[in-house]
Amino acid sequence: MSGAGLIALGILALVAPALPGIAGKTKSLLTGRRGPPVLQPYADLRKLLRKRAVYSRTTTWVFRAGPVAMLVTLVVAALLVPLDGRAAPVRFSGDLVAFAGLLALGRFALVLAGLDTGSSFEGLGASREVTIATFAEPTLFLCFIALVLATGDLSLSGMLGTPLAAAWPRAGASLSLVGISLFVLLLAENSRVPVDDPATHLELTMIHEVMVLDHGGPDLALILYGGALKLALFGVLVVSVFVPRAGFAGPAALALLFAGLGVVAVGVGVVESVMARLRLARVPQLLVGAAALALFATILQVG
Amino acid sequence: MTLVALGVALIVLAGLAAAALARRPAVGETLFRVLFGAGCVAGVMPALGVLAGATVPDVRLAPTTPFGPWVFGLDPLSAVFLLAVLSVGAACAFYGLAYLAHERGHRAVGAAHLLLAVLVAALAVVVVARAALPLLIAWEGMAVASYLLVVLEHDRPAVRRAGMIYVVVTHAGTLLLFTLFAIWAGGASDLSFGALAAHPPFSAGRGGIILAVALVAFGLKAGVVPFHFWLPEAHAAAPAHVSALMSGVVIKMGIYGLLRTVVLFGAPPPWWGWVVLALGACSGVLGVVWALAQHDIKRLLAFHSVENIGIILLGIGAGALGVAYGHPLIAVLGFAGAALHTLNHALFKSLLFLGAGSVIHATGTREIDRLGGLGRHMPATAATFLVGSAAIVGLPPLNGFVSEWVVYQSLLRGASAGGAVQLAGLAAVVLALIGGLALACFVKVVGVLFLGTPRHALATDPREAAPAMIRPLVGLAAACVVIGLVPIAVVPPALRVGSLVAGLPSAAAGFQADAAAGPATVFTVALALSLLVAWALYAAIGSGRRPSETATWGCGYATPTPRMAYTASSFAAPLLGVFRAVSGVRTDRTAHAFATHAIDPVLDGLLLPAWRGARTAASWLRQVRHGGLSRYLLLVGAAVVASLLYLLAAGRNP
Repeated sequence: MSGAGLIALGILALVAPALPGIAGKTKSLLTGRRGPPVLQPYADLRKLLRKRAVYSRTTTWVFRAGPVAMLVTLVVAALLVPLDGRAAPVRFSGDLVAFAGLLALGRFALVLAGLDTGSSFEGLGASREVTIATFAEPTLFLCFIALVLATGDLSLSGMLGTPLAAAWPRAGASLSLVGISLFVLLLAENSRVPVDDPATHLELTMIHEVMVLDHGGPDLALILYGGALKLALFGVLVVSVFVPRAGFAGPAALALLFAGLGVVAVGVGVVESVMARLRLARVPQLLVGAAALALFATILQVG
Repeated sequence: MTLVALGVALIVLAGLAAAALARRPAVGETLFRVLFGAGCVAGVMPALGVLAGATVPDVRLAPTTPFGPWVFGLDPLSAVFLLAVLSVGAACAFYGLAYLAHERGHRAVGAAHLLLAVLVAALAVVVVARAALPLLIAWEGMAVASYLLVVLEHDRPAVRRAGMIYVVVTHAGTLLLFTLFAIWAGGASDLSFGALAAHPPFSAGRGGIILAVALVAFGLKAGVVPFHFWLPEAHAAAPAHVSALMSGVVIKMGIYGLLRTVVLFGAPPPWWGWVVLALGACSGVLGVVWALAQHDIKRLLAFHSVENIGIILLGIGAGALGVAYGHPLIAVLGFAGAALHTLNHALFKSLLFLGAGSVIHATGTREIDRLGGLGRHMPATAATFLVGSAAIVGLPPLNGFVSEWVVYQSLLRGASAGGAVQLAGLAAVVLALIGGLALACFVKVVGVLFLGTPRHALATDPREAAPAMIRPLVGLAAACVVIGLVPIAVVPPALRVGSLVAGLPSAAAGFQADAAAGPATVFTVALALSLLVAWALYAAIGSGRRPSETATWGCGYATPTPRMAYTASSFAAPLLGVFRAVSGVRTDRTAHAFATHAIDPVLDGLLLPAWRGARTAASWLRQVRHGGLSRYLLLVGAAVVASLLYLLAAGRNP
């Protein structure tokens, strides 16, 4: 493991909560409101961490384990991603499968935590969450396959690291499609418009929010922080595909990454301002559309 | 081989002891436990040795039967299956002692234990047989023993129906095996595998027929779509420990047969690899979609066996394509992933079936929509079931992840290899879809069975299963965790199996570095440690504050009732809506209720209507047969006239 990689991970962990803040601020400004400050998520986390937890009498340890497991899987997944644009602290052939497996493990834990409440609301949210995830996972793999084809490497460090920069002149069109597809995945996996609306206030229309409806206090803080970290992680994937940073010195590469993350967060805010959310039945179609883009990216390279 | 023979003998002896001392169950079952355990240990040791790289000489017997000598051998391929047979066999046998204990009064429990021992012994012989005749004898023993075990509760009509379907299908498969060996040997008198492997090169047509017959014969046993229709019936009808053994191990004999066919046949042509890959994709996706639609816990688990057989076939297909297109690494990884997933599926599927057995035992129902909140009453069963669920979904750091990771590597290397084999990369996307659907399904099962609140009031409060029923679960769960934590210990033996099947027996060592099991072990161990440390930290920080307790938030509604809990039908509805074209689900929707019913498209949609049609046609023919003398004479006359006309038309004199 490299020290620099761990430092980069530390910085990512620190700035992650700012990303939903940036997205929210963008949306407010574009819709003519002032909106909460960009650093509001930090204040929310601080407030929640000081609160006392309230647990339903129906719940068991599964309810409490969900948020913890989700956060751990995201941190470990971040260890597999080359934040400096060259190599990740942990890398091995086929670690992209581990990356997808970690996301699935976090989802598994959190969905079970929701079902542990025995409420119909959480059941509804959990059902929708796994439905969307079922279509997100193959799309993620199609994106990865396109990257494997472009770079000939089976690890995230290779796919998003040095070989990617060399692949851009050859496969630029294909990689752009992969980047767009990953951005759609980012929206879907992080419960943003047009898949889910974090600002909605009616339980029946929620997806992710209603699944964690009963979590409060420190547990909700873990979930919110995990959500921010997940957004950052998918943002890193998008930025890494569009801006290969292998040619830059360490600090410059990191600065570029975080600037890119800011742009992605603004992009999320822009999408939220200009689009309504889709009807639930249309969400799989959106993801299949993203998969079609990634498939096209793959075919471009086979020919 | 002596140890394996001793093990098989001890296992049969254990069964005989249990049956002979059925009137004194305390003595008989203790003897069964000791002998069965000793037999499994005796058989497992040489299997582990062979997987670690040792070689065992073949044993040749020359009885006075036709078709050449009886040869028995233990290579890495046999060893990995023998390991699955004996470890899962022991867990199921011990569980069965406790599971059937309360039925001693009104069923032949001793005979059931004997049959189970015979089944395990026959399975062990199947995987070490190196000649057609002993293989077929053991195969038939396996079929008969498992049939008798399926119909153990034959007082229920559904069980008799399932048993009838099973016995018909399994004998159709055996018949195809006879055909297979007959075509393969082509009249030669020696049917030992050595002689079969040394065949002169087949013509493309005959080789193709051999491979196609093998695929159907072994596909029937493995439950590959569209030959899966018997599987959910039989596995749901049998007692839990028999279902566990059948779903975990017996269907794997089809996989063993396919892999052994590749070993003996040599490099299969590309079309065979593509067909296997396509069947794997169909089995995987359809198996899990159908599973999602089930409300009967055992049928649900049985359909997941169809799904996992699909994953294994994806590995075999990738391996066959790697051989056919000359990519050794793809071939070895594909076959290795298939072999490893076979072992892993044996472990977690038997764990899940035994756990489901404990739930049925405690509650008296297998309808998951009637259950809920069992985790409070049965914590050990719930925890082990949770481990099995996470493993079958392929989540790290458990064993299902390791084998799916190896299969993924093979498929992804196919994608980046260049040439026609690139198309195999798309199977990785199918595998991801299967993983996502399996996650949805097992979240549903665990959530509805063990979490939340009961959905119906049960007659009595469910009680945790007896320790004798929990111990096998803990053992199987521990195996799932250990294999998942140390890929470095299991991937090299799997590569040894893979390179044997790929026809490159000495190449295994060369692929160790490519398979990256070492760094993967760092990853899995780091993940497990992080989870433990984070949980410990969370518990330590949380212990200082007292949380307050309340009812689950229901928008201000303070007294939720069981009827308000989300059901499995509702949970699966959005996904089944997307897959409605293939899910075979009938929906009942009224103003205040929603329910789904699952029918099997192949059995209920195709085979049973065809069978009814055939019966109608036959009853019409029967009228002809019971027509009386005048009608017979008319028919004879008509036949004579028709033959004369035919001969005239053919231009010959009668």
